[in-house]
Amino acid sequence: MTDTILALQDVHKSFGEAKIIQNANLDVHRGERHAIIGPNGAGKSTLFHLCSGQFAPTSGKIVLNGKNIAGLKPAEVNRLGLARSFQITNIFPGVTVLENLRLAVMRKHNLQFVFWRSAARLKKVNQEVDDLLTKIRLTERAHSLASEMSYSEQRSLEIGMTLASDPQVILLDEPMAGMSQEETDYTSGLIREITDGRTLLIVEHDMSVVFSLAHRISVLVYGEIIATGTPEESAPMPA
Amino acid sequence: MKIGTLAILTIGVALLLALPWLVSDSMLNAAVQMLIAALFAMAFGLLCGRAGMLSFGHAAYFGVGAFAAVHAMNAFNGEGLLPTPLLPLVGAGTGMISGLIAGYFSTKRTGVYFAMITLALAELLHALAPHLKAVFGGEAGISSFRMPAWGFTFGSLSEVYYLTLIWTLGCILLLYLFSKTPLGRLALGLRENAHRMRFLGYNTHALGTLIFAVSAMFAGIAGALQSLNLEAANYVVLESHISTAVVLNSFIGGVRVFFGPAIGGALMTFFGYITSDLTRVWLLYQGIIFVLVMMFMPRGIVGEVIERFRHSSLRGLAQTAGTMALRVASLAIAAFGGVFMIEFIQRFLSSDYRATAGNGNWPDIALFSYVWSPVSVLPWAFGIGLFAIGIALTMIVNRRAAAAQEASA
Amino acid sequence: MDQLVFALLNGTIYGLLLFMVSAGLTLIFGMMGVLNFAHASFYMLGAYFAYTLEPLIGFWLALVVSPLLVMGLGILVERFILRRVHAHGHAHELLVTFGLAVVIAEVIKMVYGNFPVEYRVPPELSFAAFTLSGLDYPFYRIFMGAVAVAMFIAIYLLLTRTRVGIVVRSAIYRPQTVEALGHNVPLVFMSVFGIGAAMAGLAGAVAGAFYTTNPNMALELGVIVFVVVVVGGLGSMGGAMAASLLIGITNSLAVGSDFRMADLLSVFGLGDWAEGVGGLLTINLSSLAATLPFFIMLLVLVLRPSGLMGEKE
Repeated sequence: MTDTILALQDVHKSFGEAKIIQNANLDVHRGERHAIIGPNGAGKSTLFHLCSGQFAPTSGKIVLNGKNIAGLKPAEVNRLGLARSFQITNIFPGVTVLENLRLAVMRKHNLQFVFWRSAARLKKVNQEVDDLLTKIRLTERAHSLASEMSYSEQRSLEIGMTLASDPQVILLDEPMAGMSQEETDYTSGLIREITDGRTLLIVEHDMSVVFSLAHRISVLVYGEIIATGTPEESAPMPA
Repeated sequence: MKIGTLAILTIGVALLLALPWLVSDSMLNAAVQMLIAALFAMAFGLLCGRAGMLSFGHAAYFGVGAFAAVHAMNAFNGEGLLPTPLLPLVGAGTGMISGLIAGYFSTKRTGVYFAMITLALAELLHALAPHLKAVFGGEAGISSFRMPAWGFTFGSLSEVYYLTLIWTLGCILLLYLFSKTPLGRLALGLRENAHRMRFLGYNTHALGTLIFAVSAMFAGIAGALQSLNLEAANYVVLESHISTAVVLNSFIGGVRVFFGPAIGGALMTFFGYITSDLTRVWLLYQGIIFVLVMMFMPRGIVGEVIERFRHSSLRGLAQTAGTMALRVASLAIAAFGGVFMIEFIQRFLSSDYRATAGNGNWPDIALFSYVWSPVSVLPWAFGIGLFAIGIALTMIVNRRAAAAQEASA
Repeated sequence: MDQLVFALLNGTIYGLLLFMVSAGLTLIFGMMGVLNFAHASFYMLGAYFAYTLEPLIGFWLALVVSPLLVMGLGILVERFILRRVHAHGHAHELLVTFGLAVVIAEVIKMVYGNFPVEYRVPPELSFAAFTLSGLDYPFYRIFMGAVAVAMFIAIYLLLTRTRVGIVVRSAIYRPQTVEALGHNVPLVFMSVFGIGAAMAGLAGAVAGAFYTTNPNMALELGVIVFVVVVVGGLGSMGGAMAASLLIGITNSLAVGSDFRMADLLSVFGLGDWAEGVGGLLTINLSSLAATLPFFIMLLVLVLRPSGLMGEKE
């Protein structure tokens, strides 16, 4: 009996006439690394937008930890334990790496409308930022401006910010896009490390990454999930 | 560097404290205006520089604070709950409340929409004000008197100066502390990437509204200080040129550096004061300076200075300073030519001159202690010539500096 | 009834005028991402140029030449100022145009004085178009509406029927792609900026003669035009059109109305209370007409923050 943490039940999404997602059903098990593959334009990014609250589905349910999150706002979904990264690097470019992570961590400590200084809580925040920096191996770059870092460093920072709220479910949208082989190996190792004990849903085109990283793989074609299985089961299938 | 900053701050505060003994009364009066402009610009800088929300209507919150303070002065007579030195609290309260309301609407949108909405809200208040005589006093405005309190009469200029100084420095300190709080830090996130903030789980609309309100609160304090100083408020304070001035001043100083807006506000007010007898077109110069700063020093004056010092070795610094001196000298020549031309044209076009001229009769124009005939080529050649020489020199300096940099790299 | 017809007609024509200015703003924004704060200043310059040229070359020629002058100025601004600061981002471009608006207003004050100038409708055009129950309707209003409509047709044909128009429309959506296809995007930007400026200049040259020509006209109209684009949504011409007409018509209906808030409240038996309170409650709507557009804007912000036809951010 496996425990499902995120489930899509008969999810549809259309923009006007265009039906992007049709009848999508998916169970993501707690603690697994689950990859979604499929041709371009299959609706992978839309699927992520639906799960993270950017779009509301036209119909169907999205269940996170037994609660229907379809139609909730991004901030609310985040509070329920699901965090995502973006296909296009989406960081705070004009401030330091440290500040980027601090902005991400403060939310977890409910430091939002606080305009007095709560030293103890801030100390805790700084401690966690340090830990995150170590985890994503950017301690030495802590005081550089985010906009001045290399592409793969920015991707690492992006992943670090996704981790900051200590989410149960992480959605990574093509984390290796545009990387060299070396950078891909590096980031792949990083993802394996940081998702330990969490659930990962990942969209990725690099099949070697998918097969080495994922416990299970789902195939999305024309907005429909046509198959789900372990890498061994899907290996003979043309990707 | 930290010790250096602290030293500069201490010297600055000491100078400000000693000012009443150092300068004339009229200059001290200008200093009061400068302090108020500096505080107002700092309030704007919080919103625009730190949170990235460009407001074109900050006069509204300045004005609300100013009127609230005048009404409070008349209601309390400077006694009881609100003795004279505490009157700016009224400005703070009303500024904050009006900021919450205006912020709620304007932060519904971001970017250029936000800017347009702030302008529209300020114009709405400006258009309503003449109809609300009881609140805004109509054409005449509302006047009041500073009452003695706490053993001070507040009758002398230096007492008013110290009252303004203490409030301004106190507020700037508060603004500094605010920038270190969680809310102050989140402002940076709003500026850099509000979209990502939403995905991190923040309520960006509420955050924006709150930061807007804090900024409006400090603008309200500045307005109240102005009322205390003038002992009156008139709906001129709601006019768009007040909003315009604070935008220009803050960006000339540099909105992204903490003290940038304050220095911009103080400097421009100072120049406005000393040139008020010399020129009638100060606003034109202010506009031109702003456009030039935006084009050639996008970080603002203070921002640019800090940037130069941060990224240089000692030897590089000496070199930079040398180039800078040459550049400033050449620009001064161009500026003199430009100012001469503008002033000459202004006098030539003024209604006084037009009244005496005509029918082939072109009297001479006095400017910079000489008289010039507008029909001779001399004044035009002088002004345009100096301007051209200055620009040419600047370009030569720039080219040589660029060449030197390339050679060293 | 006749008054209502007059008010509706006035409002429509005022709305068309607003659209002449807001269309240029929308076009420039859609294409270049720049909110041109000085756009209404081009409107003012059009009026002042026409005022200056009229005694020299006559009204009709002035109506043609002043928009062209404004266009030239717009092109210079784009080429030598905006393009320089483009790398610093759109907020920076907005600020530079804001500074330009200040400079233009101050130069106008220096040259023409800080008061309205005598720019009038020429005598050959100041006659009544028709008379309704004893009230003359000025022909010049009809003329302004006709100029606006003629301009829209010209712009519409330019955008839909010419090669340049197709490039412009695609550059609005995908500037990089258009550049990659070998079109000279900077040149297209410059032309669009120039044409937008010319549209505003023409509106000024025509309307300045009817309304007043003074150094504040840029700010006064500019604010209303901003309200129009917030209400309509910056992305869409249709939105700008709808919002222009909505604001034009409500404005002119309000001007002719003697409605007071207190009258509405007296329906609920609160009339005496309202009279006692006074202030806003007892002011005629007509004297508050100038503030109505702002209230429409606030309403739209609450009900439909992205504007009537704007897309969600």
